[in-house]
Amino acid sequence: MRIRRPSVVVLSGLLAATLGAVTAPSTALGQPASATTAAEPNQVTNLTVTQADGYATLAWTPVEGATDYQIERTPVDANDEPIGPSVVVGIWRPNRQINNDSPTFADAGFNPGDRFRWRVRARFGTEEQPYSAPVTGTTLQPWGDPDVPGENLRTQWETTKAAQYTSDTNEYAYTAEIDRLSDRVRVVEIGRTVLGRPINMFVFGYPTPPTTPEAVAATSPVAINCNVHGNEPGDREACLIMARQLAFSNDPRIIDILSHTTVLIVPTINGDGRAANTRGNSTGQDLNRDYSLIRQPETAAFVRMVRDYRPIASYDGHEYGNTRAGDLPMLPPRHQNVAQSIFDQSQDMIEGFMYARGAEDGWWPCPYGCEGGGNVGLGEETILRNTLGLKNVVNSLLELRSSGGQTRPDEGNTANNRRRKTYSALWTFHRLLDYHRAKAAEIKRARAEAIGFQASNSGRIVFRGSHPIPARPAPHPAEAVPPLDEPRPDMILDDAPCAYKLTPEQYLGARTDGPGGVGATLAERIAAHGWKVVKAADGYYVPLAQPERGLIPLLLDAQGAEEWVGGQRVYPTLTGRHNGPLTVTGFTCIADGTVNGPVTVQPGATLVAYRTTFNGPVTATGAAGVVLGDVTLHGPLQVANSAGPVSLVGNTVSGPVNLVGNGGADAPLVAGNTINGPLSCTGNAAKPTAIEVPNSVKGPRSGQCAAL
Amino acid sequence: MSEPHRAAAVPTGRPRRPHRPTPVGPHRPRVRRPLRLTLLAATVALAAVAAGCSGGDPDAPDTPDPAAAATATGGVSGPLCASLPTGTDPGNPESLAGEPVDVAVRWIPVLTTFDAAVRATGLAAELRGAQGVTVLAPTDDAFARKFSASNLDELLIHDRDTLRQLLRAHLVDGSYSLAELVAAGSVTTMDGTRLTVAPAESTARIGDVAQAVCADYRVAGGRIHLIDAVLGNLPTTAGRDDDPAH
Ligand SMILES: [Zn+2]
Repeated sequence: MRIRRPSVVVLSGLLAATLGAVTAPSTALGQPASATTAAEPNQVTNLTVTQADGYATLAWTPVEGATDYQIERTPVDANDEPIGPSVVVGIWRPNRQINNDSPTFADAGFNPGDRFRWRVRARFGTEEQPYSAPVTGTTLQPWGDPDVPGENLRTQWETTKAAQYTSDTNEYAYTAEIDRLSDRVRVVEIGRTVLGRPINMFVFGYPTPPTTPEAVAATSPVAINCNVHGNEPGDREACLIMARQLAFSNDPRIIDILSHTTVLIVPTINGDGRAANTRGNSTGQDLNRDYSLIRQPETAAFVRMVRDYRPIASYDGHEYGNTRAGDLPMLPPRHQNVAQSIFDQSQDMIEGFMYARGAEDGWWPCPYGCEGGGNVGLGEETILRNTLGLKNVVNSLLELRSSGGQTRPDEGNTANNRRRKTYSALWTFHRLLDYHRAKAAEIKRARAEAIGFQASNSGRIVFRGSHPIPARPAPHPAEAVPPLDEPRPDMILDDAPCAYKLTPEQYLGARTDGPGGVGATLAERIAAHGWKVVKAADGYYVPLAQPERGLIPLLLDAQGAEEWVGGQRVYPTLTGRHNGPLTVTGFTCIADGTVNGPVTVQPGATLVAYRTTFNGPVTATGAAGVVLGDVTLHGPLQVANSAGPVSLVGNTVSGPVNLVGNGGADAPLVAGNTINGPLSCTGNAAKPTAIEVPNSVKGPRSGQCAAL
Repeated sequence: MSEPHRAAAVPTGRPRRPHRPTPVGPHRPRVRRPLRLTLLAATVALAAVAAGCSGGDPDAPDTPDPAAAATATGGVSGPLCASLPTGTDPGNPESLAGEPVDVAVRWIPVLTTFDAAVRATGLAAELRGAQGVTVLAPTDDAFARKFSASNLDELLIHDRDTLRQLLRAHLVDGSYSLAELVAAGSVTTMDGTRLTVAPAESTARIGDVAQAVCADYRVAGGRIHLIDAVLGNLPTTAGRDDDPAH
């Protein structure tokens, strides 16, 4: 692969620094503790130290009556003679973990590769009890064999021992080298920042990553967004290290993960803000208040990526100034329009998985907000956590507590502080991959259920307001949770419309809400989100009976908290029972209906139906659009030669389904349907897609739908 | 890394380096204001004395000589120095001796905000051009105690003239050790503000608001003294309720 000359220049510096920084690796790891019985009353026993990437997990047998524990670390030489002061580096508190009978503490912040002696002692109140017998061990070197090409790459942050963060140019050189040296990765530019910096994404798979976004989507990928706030760089460094591991590690666990899915890593969505050390992008816009609105090129790029690559699980990395928080505050998508199954699965990832693994490895995940968290962690759909939930992605926010706080007293040293943060993020992102690997089937079911729910256009619409995060009895990581954030009455719309109608001016008109007063049109933004839009004679209809139903009204209803426009609410034209043939002209929307008789959609007409039963055939020829969600159809369904979108989600059809010659630019969506009959698709301009929500088809599948 | 390399045309789908970002801030003034003579004339004379003096200045009897304390720590002294790169670690004080001010601040890990401000305001070249400069550099903690996150973004992105003036409140024309500043008893910064410099604990108190926490980084053409508070006259906005969440 071609290397551009500037890369070589940057790279040679990179490698030289790398090789200079890597010393002979030491192989001696933690030794098992010998003291299994307490020599003194209340002495900690059975201390063990297990080395991992950038941290060491200490575990011990609890002392009856202890209120907390202190962790002491002493640097030692190869003969275990102290070469520096003994320092209390950690305080273990009962709310760190869910199981207080097996205390653990992830010690971190040290320079990886150095050798230490650890001891732990209990305290009763402020009364210090005797220290445990010491355990010595050599911590793991930065990941990667210095003698193996690729593995020996190091970031600027690593070579400078965390004195400097990795610059933009160093990131690009490092990224290019990983791309060049590993078959497992493809690096794609998903967009550009306002100032023209590339927004790269690593695409990892084994033995090679799928070659198209559609092929990646078919693997139900997992995604990490590493750095949206430019002044919160800790997660990004973890992502860059993780990229090296995924590219070159022969650990069976890594190979297994990459053999089963695709890992997507966006190291720097806000390259301009990172370079300037600002929270916002170069216009000052907080990008994590823009993921629904996508006024900025950075967020628009990310949203298009989600549309095309369709990750099913994700983390979004941040840092957090609350000194009383745990190590790793996390929070699921909470907006009340997020489907319950997505909220529940995200909570399972955090409370069911991260808390459990945290207790094993000694890290302290907790709900965002935490003690003293204030009015944070709410339901703004502009925040990626919520935007992704409204896109049916199981996901979480990740915070790295900015300071050492009350439980890591040795972080006055900046490098120690930075290393603890980055390696805790690295731990979290690896656990995300583990969760995805272990629970992919459950996540896909939750996603399918959510998409089916959304397409049924069921229940009220909430413009702002959150699902509650349950508090747990103390001591527990979730003993303090973010505010309830119930929707205010003016943020609730009980009677959801069928669709929003936009005028050509609203849909196609120039906007001023982007950088420099220039914004993309709604047509472009709606396309970026991937919504179906019906172009009718009297305007543009955005039906709610589609997978992102929870997000659509937030942007198109005048009652929204941060909407694009006030579109016209269009209510169903038919509910209840209709006997006899039904000829659809213009825009027809049927909700909670029963139609006994054949339905014929005339050329140029639009049929939207949800939670409706049709007893009789449904035939559309040359329609402007056909959108069916949660429909029961006793009879054949034929949709031919439509000019606009075709969307069939969560329907039950007793009869054959034929999609023929539909011409819309969007692929017909055929997802989560039960078809008791054959499914045949031929001559459609774009091959129909199920967006990884399987259909149950009793009869043969043929043509373009053979694989659905 | 100092300067980004120039962009090269690259095929789609490969990692790309950026176009050279377009400067978006106000233009850096091409004409430098005349730098004011900032120290009392007596100080200049004292500088020569201080260089060879290990017994401390009789005018400042309570102050341990920072220069003497510095010898074991690469020339720097103060309570924060031990928390910064030391020994042979990247960014240690000796390694910065040949670096210009704007490069050196990138190696001192508690100066990320100050570094960002220098770059945002385009002051780097000016700092390099000076015959000698003393930098009273507030730490990241100092900036966080002074400005809310949104206020800081506003300064870095939109209000660079104000930020530049703020930086001038932290720059002194001429390269002076902390001992020299203490001996002089006061100093005038490039924004024209005269600040008292008084011995305090093991270092010095500057302008009644700031303490030198790691002093005497010797860099090319200057000195850097890390201080624990932001100088100048901008209002304090930290702790306002508008600090954003994630
Ligand atoms: Zn953040």
